[in-house]
Amino acid sequence: MANINYIEKPYEKEEVKRILHPLVSEWFFNKFEDFSLTQLYGVKTINNRTNVLISAPTGGTKTLTAFLSIINYLVTLALKNELEDKVYASYISPLKALSGDVFVNLVSPLEEIKVLVEKKGLKMQEIRVALRTGDTTAAERAKHARKIPHIYVSTPESLAIVLTTEKFVEAIKALEFIIVDEIHALTNKRGVYLSLTLERLCNYSVIEPVRIGLSATISPLEEIAKFLVGKDRDCLIANVKLNKKIEIGLDFPGESILEAENQESQKKLYHLLDEIIQKNRTTLIFTNTRAATERIIHFLDLHFPGKYQGLIGAHHSSMSKETRFEIEDRLRRGELKVVVSSTSLELGIDIGSIDLVVMLRSPKSVSRALQRIGRAGHKLHSNPRGEFIVLDRDDLLECGILMKEMIEGKIDKAEIPKNCLDVLAQQIFGMAISRIWDIDEMLSTIRKSYCYESLSKEDFLDIISYLAGEYALEHRNVYAKIWYDSGTKQIGKRGKLARVIYMTNIGTIPEEGFISVVIQNPVEQRGQIIGKIDESFLERMKKGDIFVLGGAKYQYLYSRGMKIYVSAGVTRNPTIPSWFSEQLPLSFDVAIEINRFRKLIKELLKKEKDAVDFIQEYMHCKKHIAQEIYDYFLEQDKFAAVPDEKTIVVEKFKEEKEYLIFHTLYGRRVNDALSRAYAFAAARLKYRDVEIGVNDNGFFISGMDLDEKKIISYVTSKNLREILKEAIERTEVLARRFRHCAARSLMILRNYKGREKSVGKQQVHSGFLLLAVKKISNEFPILREARREVFEDLMDIKNAEQVLRWIESEKIKIKHIRTPFVSPFGLNLMLQGRSDLIKMEDRSSFLKRMHELHLKAIGSK
Amino acid sequence: MFIGKCMLIEKDGKKLLVVGDMHVGYRNRGEAMDIIVNRELFEGFVKDFDAVFSEVGGVDKLILLGDVKHGLSAMAAEERYGLINLMDYLERKTKEIIIVRGNHDNYLGGGLTSKRKLQVLDYFIWKGYCFLHGDRDFPEIHDKNIKFWVMGHIHPAINLEEGNKVEKFKCFLSGKFKDKRIIILPSFLEVGDGVDVRELDRETVWKFDLENFEVFVVGDGLKVLEFGKLKKILI
Repeated sequence: MANINYIEKPYEKEEVKRILHPLVSEWFFNKFEDFSLTQLYGVKTINNRTNVLISAPTGGTKTLTAFLSIINYLVTLALKNELEDKVYASYISPLKALSGDVFVNLVSPLEEIKVLVEKKGLKMQEIRVALRTGDTTAAERAKHARKIPHIYVSTPESLAIVLTTEKFVEAIKALEFIIVDEIHALTNKRGVYLSLTLERLCNYSVIEPVRIGLSATISPLEEIAKFLVGKDRDCLIANVKLNKKIEIGLDFPGESILEAENQESQKKLYHLLDEIIQKNRTTLIFTNTRAATERIIHFLDLHFPGKYQGLIGAHHSSMSKETRFEIEDRLRRGELKVVVSSTSLELGIDIGSIDLVVMLRSPKSVSRALQRIGRAGHKLHSNPRGEFIVLDRDDLLECGILMKEMIEGKIDKAEIPKNCLDVLAQQIFGMAISRIWDIDEMLSTIRKSYCYESLSKEDFLDIISYLAGEYALEHRNVYAKIWYDSGTKQIGKRGKLARVIYMTNIGTIPEEGFISVVIQNPVEQRGQIIGKIDESFLERMKKGDIFVLGGAKYQYLYSRGMKIYVSAGVTRNPTIPSWFSEQLPLSFDVAIEINRFRKLIKELLKKEKDAVDFIQEYMHCKKHIAQEIYDYFLEQDKFAAVPDEKTIVVEKFKEEKEYLIFHTLYGRRVNDALSRAYAFAAARLKYRDVEIGVNDNGFFISGMDLDEKKIISYVTSKNLREILKEAIERTEVLARRFRHCAARSLMILRNYKGREKSVGKQQVHSGFLLLAVKKISNEFPILREARREVFEDLMDIKNAEQVLRWIESEKIKIKHIRTPFVSPFGLNLMLQGRSDLIKMEDRSSFLKRMHELHLKAIGSK
Repeated sequence: MFIGKCMLIEKDGKKLLVVGDMHVGYRNRGEAMDIIVNRELFEGFVKDFDAVFSEVGGVDKLILLGDVKHGLSAMAAEERYGLINLMDYLERKTKEIIIVRGNHDNYLGGGLTSKRKLQVLDYFIWKGYCFLHGDRDFPEIHDKNIKFWVMGHIHPAINLEEGNKVEKFKCFLSGKFKDKRIIILPSFLEVGDGVDVRELDRETVWKFDLENFEVFVVGDGLKVLEFGKLKKILI
């Protein structure tokens, strides 16, 4: 068993100072007054060659902590002329634009030390740093190959690529340190991917390198530590708590929150934002969605014509890289008064001095909220300052709870995907390219990763079969990627192009996500690429629709392959509303806290003053906020019933169809699973289509003659997975996820001997690919992975099962009520509308019905 | 007469079967995936043709309305493999195969056409009918003795909507243009249903008044359902 332990207290300054070479120490104290707390924890630990996870809030000088003892070590060697031609340390960051940080924390310290050394008339070998990301040019890459760097800086993907190069593997064989920065941003398939890359690296190593993980505030740290070091390796955790006081507020525009969303208050929102922006030097506004980012910029300009010209910038993931860099640069130079971002500015690189972070609408999790406000006061000694601004009552309550959790230092749990078969396929291919493997050695190397500890031999062999071409029956010699000889139990690569295919298709971020937007009219701008939009955003667009991108309006003309063509200079208003499916899901932990709060308020509902006082104290909020929250509960109680941690309210009412509203506040991911299962039950019972709508607070199903008792008893914690498997089988969700998984496992290549001209209209739609694969095997490994991704990453099936178990054990009771129309707690859910249609009626009977309708119309002309 | 996705013409004791765009050798971006898809497509073609031939019996001529192969460049392995198999199959069902050249068919010919009862033409005129792909105009096809233009190219389909539910179906279009009747066939391949006629943005050579064209929707079991004029389709 591996030992995961916390470092109980930081080392003394003198202890840390003692390990530094006098020259390094002189350099350090010329530049800094003292060690930071993070450095007191980390520097000596790394120097002791112990694996360590350093968790500290943003601005905690983590990166320099990691580098300091390595710089010290290398300088000591270089002064003794003992520096070898090998890679000593590998630094990996998920951020592509990491050169700035590396410069500050690595390159310039090395240069400054060099100057100091020369001043003293001493001689020192050159310490070489090489940076390689997806943006590195071929010439720079060639340079790295010629002169082996001592410190190698890269992204997870670039590291995986160089591991297939013999020369590089030779140079990195005696690696001594691995640093993984921003590890909190890697609790996803990219992280899974990296965990395997690290095991590959260790497999080549003649010595076991020390692993150093750097993380912002995240929970649970023990799991993150295991994720960093893999199976059976010890790790220390430095949980650095800087005494930064969080300054956080919560407010809404206008007098009453009920009016916050009407037209008049929209104006108030922009006046409130303007007021906040004017009070601060630089403000960063987070909006959650790309569309909202655009809208804020658009309306600020509309309400304050010219005022923000040249002082405001948008920053989101669908903007081109150059535009984003430019915004970051201008932000650092202090040229911008306000930047509006969806989520893309949450991470990493220093963006200069932000005074205040505004979070418009709920950020949905404590860790995200902390990350966001950490962008203000990024400097070591300034406090993070933030303000929640909400526009509806659900958000008001949610942000109130978030605020409580933030102030009280509680944080929601992150989860790392396990046994992802698509990532595994890509990595096995990479392993096979580097050398010939014994199958048992390969499996045991893979199982050293935290993410594949429990990988079954069957799953592993299925992936080997897939890669060896055993599923694609004919042509298998052409299309197989590896060979496997069951006699010798050896695995190797197949085909001359293997390495090229691997290099050009590597990675875990589904590329089909983005479609370029190209200007068609006016002629003088024709061909200009404005930015990128999400593929699913395009699916919602009809010809002639007007949408906003990068703050300007465009009209959609037509699409071709991975491009859409638009008219610029449109004056009409946008016709595409904000797009909710890109919204972030509420964390389960916060959801549980809200349910607990609901129970507490319910008990106090009869005593208004006590209740309001209690809320104010509980949430650390202002009085009028507490009053609004109390009123919200009172209304729900009078009209219907208040759901809480022990009660799920199921509300039924009738419009043109019947609606069942399930007040299950467990977050969208749980509700996605529950709603589809219940809707499938409803559709199955009547053989009719059923609509569903989902948000964080609950879900509805609507259709004809819904028998709620039968529907509810149809779904149990035991059969949920089975029902869902059937319910998602024909959905676009599964088809799209399958396409992503197929790309990650290299079934679909993004690049193959150059890109073939795409013939837009005949693009294979993912549903067809899925159908074809199902015919080969319904349990095809990559299809299984797509299902796992839907169940565990997109939805949260485990917690959904938990909720069902609570219902079965009567820990939670279901209360059925009938209402004349939707109750206050269900209003937002209804306003947001349906999110999917569970189709039970088949195409041919639908066509038959439509034909009969049209026959009447034709007959009556 | 429309049969499934095909059109059957019977005149002077001869039977002609007309088939829309097939795009054999469909290539998306993958390799393994393309093989799987193409095998699936080939099986789909055979199944669909089997159904049609068992309904109409043997035919004198089989007209393929262009875009028989998918790739725009020289024949790729998948295409060669798919096309040879398919032509072998079709030759057993008909006396003569005529392909009118589509925009994807530049490299069609050579090994595929020699030693076969198969011709590749730009257009084909027969007893008042003119068969063409639909991407190019030719002076000869405006001859006043020609009453019908039968073409493919645009992959017509129609979205039928009811409330929030939308389903797309392949369809035929039929309408007047000058002194001719225009009949546009849906694509024969199963990948993608086609393009909703109302969202067509492909530059067509002629300005057809599509709003007034009649829509015939391809249903199950070779049935084709009349839906009236395009502009009257309920949305």
